[in-house]
Amino acid sequence: MLKTRKGLVGVAVTVTVASLCVAALTELQVSGIAAGGRNPVSGLRLALYAVGAVGVIVLGVAHLRLAGVVMSIARQLGAQGSGPSGEVKLAGTDALSAAINAYAAGRETLVRRLSAELDDLRIHARLSERQKRHTKAIIYSLRDAVVVVDEQDRLIMANEPAAGLLGFSDDARGKPIADICGEKHREFLEFLHQSAQSGVEGTRREMVFALGEQPHVFDTIVSCVYEGPKVSGVVAVLHDITREKEISQMKNDFVSHVSHELKTPLASITAYSEMLVDGEANDEETRKEFYGIIQTQAQRLNRLIEDILNISRIESGLIKVAKEPVSLAILIEQQMSMIQKYAQEKNITVTRQTPIIFDQVYADKDMISQVIVNLLSNAVKYTLPGGSVRIAAEVDEAAGRVRVTVTDTGVGIPEEELEHLFHKFYRVAANNKHAKGTGLGLNLVKQIVEKVHNGRVFVTSKVGVGSTFGFELPLAALEMAPV
Amino acid sequence: MAGNKVLIADDEIHIIHVVAIKLRNNGYDVLSANNGAEAYDMVCAEHPDIIVTDYQMPLMTGVEMIEKLRANEATRQVPVILLTARSFAISQEQQESLGVSACLSKPFSPKELLKSIQDILYQRELVVAPQP
Repeated sequence: MLKTRKGLVGVAVTVTVASLCVAALTELQVSGIAAGGRNPVSGLRLALYAVGAVGVIVLGVAHLRLAGVVMSIARQLGAQGSGPSGEVKLAGTDALSAAINAYAAGRETLVRRLSAELDDLRIHARLSERQKRHTKAIIYSLRDAVVVVDEQDRLIMANEPAAGLLGFSDDARGKPIADICGEKHREFLEFLHQSAQSGVEGTRREMVFALGEQPHVFDTIVSCVYEGPKVSGVVAVLHDITREKEISQMKNDFVSHVSHELKTPLASITAYSEMLVDGEANDEETRKEFYGIIQTQAQRLNRLIEDILNISRIESGLIKVAKEPVSLAILIEQQMSMIQKYAQEKNITVTRQTPIIFDQVYADKDMISQVIVNLLSNAVKYTLPGGSVRIAAEVDEAAGRVRVTVTDTGVGIPEEELEHLFHKFYRVAANNKHAKGTGLGLNLVKQIVEKVHNGRVFVTSKVGVGSTFGFELPLAALEMAPV
Repeated sequence: MAGNKVLIADDEIHIIHVVAIKLRNNGYDVLSANNGAEAYDMVCAEHPDIIVTDYQMPLMTGVEMIEKLRANEATRQVPVILLTARSFAISQEQQESLGVSACLSKPFSPKELLKSIQDILYQRELVVAPQP
């Protein structure tokens, strides 16, 4: 197309020059004929025409070249926009070409860089969105309460446990946390505020919150979130440690109780041994008395250790249980004979009322014997001389259970203490003067009956009248039946 | 004239028995009680020179009994030795605030207990020469 245009321009220039020449010649001829001789003015005019013609030619050529350059730039730049760019080449205009090429190359680099940065930003935005969703999912699946507030103490995020603990409603987000929590959680709010002020990464404090009716202890950690050097908010995580504290307290109490119970007989053994060694027992009778005390205290220590170990084994599920069809009537008779001597010494009558039925329960014989002897010895221990103890067993076919009761005419137990009787180391303070004990016997009874034999223990009592302790076990037929 | 009067309070009858023999063998006059409440009443009635008491006792613990003694003008000066089988013995501060002269852990040595009694009575110039 350019060639065509060039041709047309060439023709136009040629025609123009030819016209000018013809016009000059015509002028010359006409003026010559008219003047009839040489005219110097006509020569000058001719020369001016010639110069004008040459100027027109030069301008045309320059126009042509400029148009060509512009067209070339337009074409090459147009080609760059739609595909891979090449170098712009403009014939005869090297400096301009170089400048345009440098500009194009710079623009291309810039476009590439911006495009790469845009891709990065898109990736970052996607990652950030995903990370936000992950963080939210983590926070909302935690059982610990998590609260996030901004630098102006407005609530950004709180999971369900936090909402329950601090009493947030669904529309709490974005509101000042002080308005949402109110006076009730002033200590927590102050802690959040102080932590934000201090700028410390993680501050820890044990705080008490009312959860339902009960106060709960929470291990509260508040961490500051930074945006550059500025604290832009805080994250509080509240972990309920009430149960851990209770367990820790129970462990301490257990160690304290065990220590006390072990040291008591040991104190007697140590003191009497020292007296014997130092010759403080002056006669044979006193020495024999001391030996006897050492022996009984050693036996007491052994029983105590056995009881503790048995309870521990049952609780941890490590005890070996040898269940077999057992007649409770036979076990009761055996244990009664063991307790009779002690009962006679205290002038207490022990009687039984059991049906002659064999293989009543599917049980560990030694363990159930321990249960029966513990209940019988307790009954004798807390019954005053002249009283009575009765053991009875009855089968409830309809319920599929055997029920054993030990009833005494003893000192009785205050009603408010009944619920604690089967707890480890629990002793009725008012009855301590009647007998010594570790507070482990009834706990062992409960563990054996309920944990090992799927039964149930129970007690009824009236102060000054007496008590009935008992247990129920499933009938052997039910226990042994295939599932 | 009898020697110094010592009250032993413990719910373990064997401990009372062995301490009583040790002290009587060394010229002391011995009283005994099975719990804190009984011991307090006995202090008020018998005015012992020194008390040896167990920490953990029914009805009233040894510490409760000491607190009650300190609150009573007539008994606030009586020296007390505390016996304890507890794993966490009472602190020095608690001993001082209760006015406990010595604290012995169970199991204890009757010889050590005797020495503590002698030292405390000597320091307080309460020693009475026992009747031969």
